[in-house]
Amino acid sequence: MNRVRMQTYDWIVWALFLVVPFVIFWQSATSLADQGVASGGPMENAAQFPRMVAWLLLGLSVLNGLRLGLNRISERSPLEPTPTTRLALVTSGGFLVYLLMLPYLGYHLSTPILISALLILFGLPAIASALGALVMSLMVAAVFEGLLNVVLPVGLFQISVFG
Amino acid sequence: MFDLLTLGAPLFFTWQAVLLTAAGIVAGLFIGVLPGLGPLMGIVLMLPVAFHLPPIPAMGMLIAIYVGGSAGGSISAILLRIPGTPLAAATLFDGYPMAQKGRAQDAIGLSITSSAIGGLIGGLVLLFCSPLLAAFALRFGPPEYAAMALLGLLTIAVVSEGSTLKGLIAGGFGLALATMGTDEFTNAYRFTFGNFNLTSGPHIVPVVVGLFALSEVFFQIESGNFLASPNIQKLRVSFRALRLLAAHKVNLVRSALIGTLMGAIPGAGGDVSAFISYAVARRMARPGERYGEGAEGGVVATEAANNGCCGGALIPSLSLGIPGDASTAVLLAALFLLGFFPGPELFRYNADIAGGIFIAYLMGNIVLLVMGIVLVPFFGAVLKVPKAWLLPAVLLLSTMGTYALQNSVFDLWVMLVFGAIGYLLRRASYPLAPIIIGMILGPVLENNFRRSMLISRDGLNIFIERPISATILGLVAIMLVYAVFTILRGHLRHASVVNSE
Repeated sequence: MNRVRMQTYDWIVWALFLVVPFVIFWQSATSLADQGVASGGPMENAAQFPRMVAWLLLGLSVLNGLRLGLNRISERSPLEPTPTTRLALVTSGGFLVYLLMLPYLGYHLSTPILISALLILFGLPAIASALGALVMSLMVAAVFEGLLNVVLPVGLFQISVFG
Repeated sequence: MFDLLTLGAPLFFTWQAVLLTAAGIVAGLFIGVLPGLGPLMGIVLMLPVAFHLPPIPAMGMLIAIYVGGSAGGSISAILLRIPGTPLAAATLFDGYPMAQKGRAQDAIGLSITSSAIGGLIGGLVLLFCSPLLAAFALRFGPPEYAAMALLGLLTIAVVSEGSTLKGLIAGGFGLALATMGTDEFTNAYRFTFGNFNLTSGPHIVPVVVGLFALSEVFFQIESGNFLASPNIQKLRVSFRALRLLAAHKVNLVRSALIGTLMGAIPGAGGDVSAFISYAVARRMARPGERYGEGAEGGVVATEAANNGCCGGALIPSLSLGIPGDASTAVLLAALFLLGFFPGPELFRYNADIAGGIFIAYLMGNIVLLVMGIVLVPFFGAVLKVPKAWLLPAVLLLSTMGTYALQNSVFDLWVMLVFGAIGYLLRRASYPLAPIIIGMILGPVLENNFRRSMLISRDGLNIFIERPISATILGLVAIMLVYAVFTILRGHLRHASVVNSE
């Protein structure tokens, strides 16, 4: 059990890569077969190359699983949280909420909120964080909206500063 | 060779291209200075911006970031004993002792001038060799291209850092990602799961930004120290380094050539070339030179090599479409996005673009020589910027850069997913570069494999009946034997350690 814990990340990634070949086989047998492109000559068979890749990945994953199972791996990859791991998780959660809100609030409302929250979480004073977030957001908007003519998400309020 | 320069000159010598190349050098230097970031991160962050620019200004800016970032990493190695990039790891052997002896100014000057001149030497080799290699590659048909793509992918997977097996798995994962989207031959949707956003497969930019930039942000948050600001000695503008460099001209040229050669071998990379050049320079040192205690030659050797490597890495990238490292893989992705296909066709049908890229690379190194010295006082100031300010900036640039590519929020979700995957892979010590190279070489490999099978009357034998293809596959076989040998040796070594314990 302890051996498994010492290689936690390795096992997670192993499982992730093991899923890929099975998804390829499943899609080849269902979606690609339904489209009529899972067999035939090289021009008609769209599943041939992905299947080859899947077999390769499967073989390599089995080999890697054996290495892990027999503890033949020199580098450890345990789940060892650092004092700021919780902060990294909070940041990830905040970013997830930001992505969810971006289409509704738009860039000019949601971005300063996210950035100032991050700056405060990283230990900067609130006023400096708010001002810094505003300046950063406006600078990035000036480059993308003003110089590159990109329409940043305007949201429900249709806010665009440089566009 | 000169035809290319003549054709490329009108495209490069526009205010936009020159200005963006200079801006790219400055941005690259500052990004390189900051530990944890580097040329690859700089290219990744600016890739979406480049997509909105004309081809030569875009490539000029990205190549300049590559050149500037490769040079900038030495500055934090010299001042703080923390290499800004892995490329500068060997520079601290003598750069840091020089700084400790009060010669930080000279060490930085030598590192910048050596980088620029090493890069120029690499550029001349690139200018000479690329068209020759591309002309040879005109003899290639589908079997040769398929074999070449296989060799490129295998080399990167085998030579990249960490376990060979993990490198191979990462490369295989990249190939699997490349199969997503609409099949070129049948127009069938592969692995799109009914999502119309995936009809062209995941875009390479959100994948690259997620794997490299986003995962790095999470890593940096986990390492803490958000408000730390180191003490840096005061630096001035000085051209004295040019005079000092004159005493090391043989070392400079030799190291630049070693760097270029190593760069041209896919997977070898700038850090390896810097260590090799350092070892050679140390062996050939004059009796009075004390390597490891602040020898000027040590800084010259490593920096000339790692920037010469940039020119070398561009040789197979531009002439064959086989990237030399992760940075050139992203540069190739940029070239694809701009509508140009690296390889012999680039030199045949878009010689002006190839020429413009060469000029951008050469001019980038000249700008580096001047700007690198002029900006020296600012490097210390950049190193003092706390991480608390940098991380949100990187996150914001990554996000909006990715969004701007196709005005798509879906791309941001792709970026987030690959950020998480990149984080897990790095925690488990998987190399990330083979994934990107697999994504780039996947379509080349698949399309040429299928075309080969179509024209073949004898199945897979087409690959060994043709001499060039057979030779390349011979190299593939050697790489495979090497890979198996490396994996077995790792197992035996591990077993002996366990037994001795």
